[in-house]
Amino acid sequence: MNSRWRELLWPEAAVWLALVVLLGTTLAAAFIPMRYGTAANLGIAAVKAILVAAFFMHLRRASGLDRLASILGPFWLALLIGLVVADLLAR
Amino acid sequence: MHDNPISSPFEGDVRQHWAAAQLGIWLFLATEVLFFGGLFTSYVAYRLLYSEAFTIAARETELTYGTVNTAILLTSSFAVAVAVKTERSDRVLARRLVLVTVLFGLAFLGVKGIEYSSDLDRNLAPGPGFPLEPAETQIFWALYWLMTGVHALHVTVGIGVMTAVYLLMRAHRVAQNSALLDVSALYWHFVDVIWIFLYPMLYLVGRS
Repeated sequence: MNSRWRELLWPEAAVWLALVVLLGTTLAAAFIPMRYGTAANLGIAAVKAILVAAFFMHLRRASGLDRLASILGPFWLALLIGLVVADLLAR
Repeated sequence: MHDNPISSPFEGDVRQHWAAAQLGIWLFLATEVLFFGGLFTSYVAYRLLYSEAFTIAARETELTYGTVNTAILLTSSFAVAVAVKTERSDRVLARRLVLVTVLFGLAFLGVKGIEYSSDLDRNLAPGPGFPLEPAETQIFWALYWLMTGVHALHVTVGIGVMTAVYLLMRAHRVAQNSALLDVSALYWHFVDVIWIFLYPMLYLVGRS
């Protein structure tokens, strides 16, 4: 019975726990005055997103083609945001 | 032949069906990144231009509702991930977990509705009667309504899809090797990931 539960919930339960802990961390960090608070919280968000993508969305065992397709969107967005920010900072 | 109403173009070739479904959903999610990407970029641009106003404006978001909703979505992703996992071995458990996911989705929308009502009570919508200064704080709040509104629409679509999947599974109309649940779950996780980024952008700014 024990091993069946473990088989069912591992690693998803561990990932969920990690996500909840990260949520608590990011919430607490928001109240601490620090130099790069925004970057830190977005960094934590990125870690959460990668956990969801790798484990819940099965990217760890997905084909190379699917993994490539999965980074297309974020890659394009990084270019867009990067160039817009570069433009604004240069004004 | 067509005992499955959701007939795929690769009947009889399971491997092909799966490969096509997986690539298809990932490409679709890439277009969804395009969709949200415009709003995310606008947020970044305006925050860079009016960082002081954004800090003032963001303090007025309801942190409790936002945090509870984040926890709700993370747990709903957990539920549907386990559902996908048990689809082969225990279909009854799998479809019950899909129902649990639907319920979490409805809970998210419920909390969002209460939050919107509270925001409107405080006149936090751009336009006449907006309570904050300077005027650029309205930009943050315009982005808040747009981004959470579009996200909530996506959650609603997800709820519709998951409900359909649940009902089809209960009626035993989902074929043994169908990618339907897997693909629907990926959409749900994506909606969760969008919120994972929206949360710090909208709720955690200016709190320290």
